[in-house]
Amino acid sequence: MDNKYIMIIDDSPTIRISVEFAVKKMGYPIQQAENGEDALEKIKEIKSQGGDVAICICDINMPQMDGIAFIKEFKKTDKFTPVIVLTTESEDGKIKEGKEAGASGWIVKPFQPADLVQVVQKFLKV
Amino acid sequence: MIKSESSKFNKPLYILYPGDYFATKDDCVLGTVAGSCLCVCLYDKVRGIGGMGLFIVPGGIGTEGIVMSDIARSGITSMEYLMGELVKQGGDRRYVRAKIFGAGYTGNGVGTELIEANIRFIHEYFTLENIQVERSDLGGDFRRRLYFVPREGTVYRQILKNNEEASEFTKLEKEYIDTEFRSKKRVGRIVLFE
Repeated sequence: MDNKYIMIIDDSPTIRISVEFAVKKMGYPIQQAENGEDALEKIKEIKSQGGDVAICICDINMPQMDGIAFIKEFKKTDKFTPVIVLTTESEDGKIKEGKEAGASGWIVKPFQPADLVQVVQKFLKV
Repeated sequence: MIKSESSKFNKPLYILYPGDYFATKDDCVLGTVAGSCLCVCLYDKVRGIGGMGLFIVPGGIGTEGIVMSDIARSGITSMEYLMGELVKQGGDRRYVRAKIFGAGYTGNGVGTELIEANIRFIHEYFTLENIQVERSDLGGDFRRRLYFVPREGTVYRQILKNNEEASEFTKLEKEYIDTEFRSKKRVGRIVLFE
């Protein structure tokens, strides 16, 4: 658990803080990223230092690299690490796009911290 | 929201009602009347993209701050919807500036505590987001008629002392606020794929 990170990817600092607050009790180290591109760079850095990613919690609408593009890129090299989408997007078409990109789950904001923890736990099989 | 034409600005005019949010890169005007609701105008000054949202945080916020508050979370989500639309249009949060209006004591049953909670919410939110608020015009015992030119980030404001001047908005705002207070649903849906 010491070197397996929970990645929080959202362009809103308020959301990143909310999510970190919700999941930090799980005991995993946490890394925040502002968009998909930033996340890929930070994941590369974590892996170069011998660490890994336990799960990604990712927004959809972000500048530079959005959530769907991030999931597609991330899944090219890491098929098994789950990505949970946390977004205001609730259209079925968008959710389907997320599933096809490789997301494991889709949570529409606003979220209850306990619900988020439950979903993360399910995929981490804690 | 409805679309019409503004003879004053000679541009398409989008009228937003309480609960609406809209962002665009088009050369147009966004208009509304803000009573007790917060009216947030955001614009990316580099790309000429802007948006407006009209909402209320339906309750008080404790000393825990907005990140920890269930009630404030609905306000954060309202801001997320607006910012999400702006980003979809090509806007970038790093270049976004805000102008905020409303939260007036307009005699529609919304008490002082709630108005103060809304004012506190919006200031805390923009501080956390590190977004510069270029203009903050909140409180007062009046409504505000607002026209926002999203490409320029310019806002034109008129103070309405008399509720009859905006009777349609007054009625719709009251309905919106009542609905927000009655609503127990403060979570979105969850879909698991495997």
